[in-house]
Amino acid sequence: MSILQLDQVGYSYTGTRQRVQVLRDISYQFSPGSVYGIVGRSGAGKTTLLSLLSGLTLPTSGRVLFDGRDLAACDRYRYRSRDVGVVFQSFNLLPSLTATENIVLSMHISGKQYRDYRGHALKLLQKVGIEREKADRRVLHLSGGEQQRVAIARALSYDPAVILADEPTGNLDETTQDQVMAILTQLAHRENKCVIIVTHSPAVARQVDMLYKLAPLQ
Amino acid sequence: MYIFHNAMRNITRYKGRSILIGIITGVIAVACCIALCIRQAAVTAKEDGLADLAITAQISVDRQGMMERSQQSGEDMRQALSGAQDLSLEQLELYATAECVQRFTYTISSSLSAAGELEPFSTDSAAQQSGSGQDGDMPGGMGGRSQMGVQGDFTVSGYTDAGDISGYQQGTLALTSGQLPDFSAGDNSCLISSELATLNGLAVGDTITLKNPSADSETYALTVTGIYQNSSSDSGQMGPMFSTASDPANQIITSFATLQQICTDSASRATTSTDADTGITSTSALRSQTAGTYYFADVAHYEQFEEQARALGLPDDYTVQSSDISRFEQSLTPLENLSNFAGWFLLVVLAIGAVILVVFGIFTIRERKYEVGVLTAIGMKKSKVALQFVLEMFCVTVASFIIGTGIGAVASVPVGNALLSAQQSSTSQSIQQPGDMGGRGADKNTAAASGDMPGGAPGGFGGMVQGAADYVDQVNASLDLQVLLQLLGLGIALSIVSSAVGVVFIMRYEPLQILADR
Repeated sequence: MSILQLDQVGYSYTGTRQRVQVLRDISYQFSPGSVYGIVGRSGAGKTTLLSLLSGLTLPTSGRVLFDGRDLAACDRYRYRSRDVGVVFQSFNLLPSLTATENIVLSMHISGKQYRDYRGHALKLLQKVGIEREKADRRVLHLSGGEQQRVAIARALSYDPAVILADEPTGNLDETTQDQVMAILTQLAHRENKCVIIVTHSPAVARQVDMLYKLAPLQ
Repeated sequence: MYIFHNAMRNITRYKGRSILIGIITGVIAVACCIALCIRQAAVTAKEDGLADLAITAQISVDRQGMMERSQQSGEDMRQALSGAQDLSLEQLELYATAECVQRFTYTISSSLSAAGELEPFSTDSAAQQSGSGQDGDMPGGMGGRSQMGVQGDFTVSGYTDAGDISGYQQGTLALTSGQLPDFSAGDNSCLISSELATLNGLAVGDTITLKNPSADSETYALTVTGIYQNSSSDSGQMGPMFSTASDPANQIITSFATLQQICTDSASRATTSTDADTGITSTSALRSQTAGTYYFADVAHYEQFEEQARALGLPDDYTVQSSDISRFEQSLTPLENLSNFAGWFLLVVLAIGAVILVVFGIFTIRERKYEVGVLTAIGMKKSKVALQFVLEMFCVTVASFIIGTGIGAVASVPVGNALLSAQQSSTSQSIQQPGDMGGRGADKNTAAASGDMPGGAPGGFGGMVQGAADYVDQVNASLDLQVLLQLLGLGIALSIVSSAVGVVFIMRYEPLQILADR
């Protein structure tokens, strides 16, 4: 039973002179408990596909279904804040906040109630390998790898059913790459999350349960 | 709740920006507070002043109205004016029965000349024009030369009560020796000024002799029962004298009955003659004028008076005037000018302040565009993002408005008084412009009306001094609840205006576009 589904999805935009078709007739299904990989060459539309899956934009044709419901007809703010956690390629953390504050803010936005917001955030940071003393540093003072982990912790903070990660290991050394992949794999296999990773790394691609390849349109 | 909490945290996170907005809105608040306090003080001063004002009114011939009517009808203006008669005491008393009138008093005045060894007190300018008699207006003269008679050396005023004597209750006119005449009796007793007494070597108990300026043989003897000092008759305050009769030192005070008796006697002995050229009849009888003063509990009663008097038969040729109200309004002129200035200043400050804050808000939103993109990307609704930004602006604005209001409240009194003082000087200077006898153009009627009794009856005495209004020179520009609410409203309005443009920007932003641009 898939939780997320692309049904004949197409996406195009108007360029400087002509209409540019990025995706055409994509039909993928994503189920809980599995790690999915989406690979493809540059310009194949990987990030666009991630934007469609995360509800940041809508397909120009076809449908994106979450739990059987068309995202176009849903409250996509609610979807983004509760049902899907996104780890952006450039992290998209708020630089004026600390690591903990970034996570707590996401928890508040989700509208879910927690007994101890800060305690929960600290546990998540510990889970992704951020030391306690770095939890209250502004994220700008953390390294790229640490920011990546904070972004993962933020995506997990409100316990979404789907985790989307755009090049989650792109900024990390090999050891950290393995650690991050281990976290994401555990989320799928132990916590029954649906993890979708957009990557061009063969090493990452090898660790996923199912791989979708995107080819650039002619 | 987290939106509010986050907004509060952002205020401290972006300290520099918050302080800058705080300073701008604080300055606006100080300016608004001072302006509103001044405006409120002007309103309060007027309301309180009118509430405390003992309002009196007089009925006089509406010369301007008569002239306008005669112009419209083509009637000879002189003829029309010559037909104007003073109201009789009976008529004045009739209008005093109007429901709104609280109290009614009346006086009579006439002009007589010195007889025997009596010399009027005179200044040089007055002396040059003063003789045993001179053509001109009677005190409060009626125009219409045929009935003017001849101006005497003295203004003789008859009262029914000492309280009606101008300046007596205020203390500017005080008895220095002797006693007041019996105002209820016609016993030919009188009060004279200390200047006149000194000049003629008169003392209490002496007799002075006056004569009809139009008939030398018609003399009247009055016994001096008292001598008064009039502090408002200092020459420095008086300005130029055009006749000795208008000099307060030549004011002779007697009872109404005494002067009425003199006038009745003069009328019985009068001769009349008709000018062959103009056909206008003149009489040698002493010309007198009876003036009534109506007292009212408040302005509302005064405003009802004219309508009620008309209902009792007051003709259109007469008008009701209150020197108290016009003088009071004149006294408020600098404050009202300042209030108007404060109103315009308030609008300018608000407009400029709003523009600055709007521009600042736009820059702030653009600077924080990425934050908007991230917040909306992780699922925060645009409306909530906008609310957070509005709350930030609102809290900074309201806090700085409160501080600014506190500073403004402290500064409003000294600043208000300094501005009022400058305005007062400016108003005084404009009134003292050469060639402008009656004050500023717009206030000429007011200034004329404030010359004490209309028609110059007993009020002619000291009228020139009292005609100049005592301007309000202190402004009680304190912060009250009404001003506080107005400031609160302005603070809220300003924060809404300044954040409204930011809200529009936020609602237009698309998270994917912002993040992609980055």
